[in-house]
Amino acid sequence: MAQDTGGAKDAGPWIDPLKYVSAKPELPPATIETAKKIGPLSYTVLIDEKHLVSKLYNMVNVPTGVWINEQGRIVRPNEVAFVDDRFKNFTGLDSEPYLNALKDWVEKGGKSDYVMSEYHLEKIVTAQSPSIALAAAEFGLGEQLYKSGHPTEAIAHFKEAQRLNPKSWNYKRQAYALTSEKDYGTTFRDEVQKIGGSKVYYPPPELPTSEKKQN
Amino acid sequence: MKANVCSGLLFLLLAVIPSAANELRTTIVYDDNVTDLAAAREDAGQLWITTGDLKRATRFEVKPQGVCRDELCFPLPKARQQEFVQKTPPVTWFNMTAFAALVHQPVAHDTALSTWYFGLRSDQRQQLSSLQAPDFTLPDLQGKPHRLSDFRGKKILLVTWASW
Repeated sequence: MAQDTGGAKDAGPWIDPLKYVSAKPELPPATIETAKKIGPLSYTVLIDEKHLVSKLYNMVNVPTGVWINEQGRIVRPNEVAFVDDRFKNFTGLDSEPYLNALKDWVEKGGKSDYVMSEYHLEKIVTAQSPSIALAAAEFGLGEQLYKSGHPTEAIAHFKEAQRLNPKSWNYKRQAYALTSEKDYGTTFRDEVQKIGGSKVYYPPPELPTSEKKQN
Repeated sequence: MKANVCSGLLFLLLAVIPSAANELRTTIVYDDNVTDLAAAREDAGQLWITTGDLKRATRFEVKPQGVCRDELCFPLPKARQQEFVQKTPPVTWFNMTAFAALVHQPVAHDTALSTWYFGLRSDQRQQLSSLQAPDFTLPDLQGKPHRLSDFRGKKILLVTWASW
């Protein structure tokens, strides 16, 4: 689900890289080679220019993954979901444990150790508080103003969304990308440094250890 | 005495009927759909829209049993009807902000551009804590809509990402 206010225009090149590079022969050969290597994607990719999924699932950053079973029930809630290592130098996260957990779930279904009990899930999956919901509304208003040709007026609402929900990196990063970090008096790098650097920026998924799995 | 009664009535009317002086070109965003309203009145931070615009922008309608859309219906408190619905024939006005407060819906407003954004109602937000995955419909790159619940019967790894 591409959380991009710019919709297909911004997310498209990542979904269909081959089509993108074919239209831009001036790109460096390495970029074109990478696009060819990725090729067409084999899974469903959707464009979410209103950040609807982040709103409905109370998400604060990308990538965030949720496991949903065959009955439409959440069996693992929001967590950092890297399925490859392209950002490993920045995050320090290895995708292998998460991928192994996923494979285990695919194989064993509800019997997988990585599936959480409803008792556990009920404690950690909570509805948005009124102030977090208001933050989403301020962000949505900012997006509407931006799209209707008022990028300057949008900034105050993006700032208000960030104030009301300071944990949301989505609000920071999307807003910086739409205009400029200068409009917010900070940079992404500075914001990451404030919380202790890139190696703690993404909390690793809390996967059960082999010891716990035996208990 | 007569003059006092008249001025009292006039004051009452002014207090109850949204002022025509504040009529603006207003845009509302409801369920992420953008609608430019045919008419709107803003009074003391309250947004009044016509019941015609209410249906057009939100698909909700004022019915005897409450404010309803499909099977969803929010009863209006009987003693407070005037806070929500006012008739100035031929127009019937509906107070969007009072309704939002009733259904615990956040509202963001840009005064200068007269744009109002109505966020997720409490009933929409509560769905997540039921652990039933909130449903949605979004388009793919070709514009074809996909609904999450259409994938029922399969395991789903739902992952958000972004170009930024």
